[in-house]
Amino acid sequence: MRVIKLNKENLFPFLEVISEKADLWAPVKKGDKHVFKVVDDFSKVELSTTRTILPPRKIFLPPTFSMFNISEKGYEEDFSHVTKKILFGIHPCDIHGLLTLDNFFKQDYLDPYYLEARKNTLILGLSCWPDEYCFAKSTNTHIIEEGFDLFFTDLKDFFLVWIGSSQGDDLIRLKPEFFDENLTDTDIQTYIRWQTERDKAYKWGINFNALPDLIELKYRDSLWEKLGDACLACGSCTNVCPTCNCYNIMDKQFLGGKDGKMIRYWDACTLEEYSEIAGGENFRKKRADRLKLWYTHKLQAYISKYGKPSCVGCGRCIVTCPVDINVRTVGKALLGEKEDAFWLRFNKEVTK
Amino acid sequence: MEKENNDKLKIGIYELTGCAGDALLILDCEKELVDIFNAADIQSFLMAKSDNIDEELDIALVEGSVSTEREKEELLDIRKRAKTVVAIGICSCFGGIQAAFLDQKEWEKNFKKIYGDTKMTHTKPVQSKPIDAYIKVDYYLPGCPIEKEQFLSTFNRILRGNPPELYRFPVCVECKWNENDCLLNKDIPCLGPITRAGCGSICINHNLPCVGCWGLVEEANLTSEFQLLQEKGFDYDFIKKKMANFSGTGIADFLGNLKGDKK
Repeated sequence: MRVIKLNKENLFPFLEVISEKADLWAPVKKGDKHVFKVVDDFSKVELSTTRTILPPRKIFLPPTFSMFNISEKGYEEDFSHVTKKILFGIHPCDIHGLLTLDNFFKQDYLDPYYLEARKNTLILGLSCWPDEYCFAKSTNTHIIEEGFDLFFTDLKDFFLVWIGSSQGDDLIRLKPEFFDENLTDTDIQTYIRWQTERDKAYKWGINFNALPDLIELKYRDSLWEKLGDACLACGSCTNVCPTCNCYNIMDKQFLGGKDGKMIRYWDACTLEEYSEIAGGENFRKKRADRLKLWYTHKLQAYISKYGKPSCVGCGRCIVTCPVDINVRTVGKALLGEKEDAFWLRFNKEVTK
Repeated sequence: MEKENNDKLKIGIYELTGCAGDALLILDCEKELVDIFNAADIQSFLMAKSDNIDEELDIALVEGSVSTEREKEELLDIRKRAKTVVAIGICSCFGGIQAAFLDQKEWEKNFKKIYGDTKMTHTKPVQSKPIDAYIKVDYYLPGCPIEKEQFLSTFNRILRGNPPELYRFPVCVECKWNENDCLLNKDIPCLGPITRAGCGSICINHNLPCVGCWGLVEEANLTSEFQLLQEKGFDYDFIKKKMANFSGTGIADFLGNLKGDKK
């Protein structure tokens, strides 16, 4: 893989040039948090963010979108969510998240709504610095070797830019004068130092290797009941997870009579309706069972199929769940490590 | 081509105790009004027209809660005349604000406190309750007021003999879709997790906490929400009042059985 150098002041001019024929999505501020948004004002692009509220999968499959337009003549597929896009500022863990989604949407039945959007989006990754909620080093998703067209490592005064695809190379060729092919020894030393420091900045971790066995051994543990008692079933953990991919569909008929739409929207296995079938029977009526399914899927089943968890260590469930049910507290509870969490303090018997 | 009236389903839209916001919302569907009146034979709709006919109906949409004897009789009559009854809006579905004290068995005492010895000549007031306290309800369309898209889609489905297809999850789901930062995590008392979605998390989009005006979601974990708010430092009575505000019958049992109630 070719690596070149970009001076900091050339980043925004470069983004401006390459986004002439595509929407540029990048992290911008929303309150105290960040979100991916289409930007035209490059001064709003945030370079030193941690996680965005929603993961970048919203750019490929929006929370709700129309799949078909239905009329008397039949139905017409609706791909209006597929436009030319450039996604800048996506961190290694989130790129791993997309690679995980690729596995889902390419297996058995190809999902055209995802794959078309994916094909039309260039991935411009950006390095990051962990905060107290990141644990991507435990999932080995703090580094990335594939899944991007360009990857920018921020070394303060300049970026080292990894060229990951021929499409990425085409972008560089639009403004080759911005880049320097010749890296000095000092540049390389700066990179190595940065990497060592960055790795040290991960302050805690989880032993994911032990979790598949522990989930098996503790499948009937009272832990799950305790989690289910406190869980608000708000679906937030699934909505913010970069590897969750379930959806539901809903018909929207128009009043005039004969036309309508089929809407697809993000579903969550932690919601009650998810496991309900015709006639009202529900396979996972209990929240405890639904949480067990989610964690078994993320921390055990996916590992047995792909050799790694479908958790990428982004920390979104940790900052989002109001009752502290997240990969950190559940993982640590499975490992028998002490943690402080609302769900552990919660008492379902007494409210006074 | 316009259908003749006798081919269309006969609809009645009725208002009991409430702010009339749901009826107003229907009237406010200006772009779709022609379609609504074209798709159905609107026999009775007091807010929209004066030549109302109260006879046999295919579908009755009922807004508001029952708070007088006369409304009770009106409702029983509607049920008798209509093949399908749909409760529209929070008051009709769960009781709304006027049913906030359903958990207390002291309605008469409270009534006296407010109205004193005033003689009610018009009709006899009763404790305000949702319509399913008196009649069988076929479908529920909650909202405060109901949401336009959801109303149109539901109305259309019911006209075709299909049950409504509504979101059955809490506000939090739509709130995340709108990429809001969770207010509970900022120690703001938000009822999103126990409140049914459909509003598009409109309050939280404007940085205001959810007040629960769409009623309880089916699986509301009230105990967890209550303790979470307590842990964030809100006091017992504050939380109780906040939760009771809109959800009427949905929450009366929970609040009535809370331990440690000093009053």
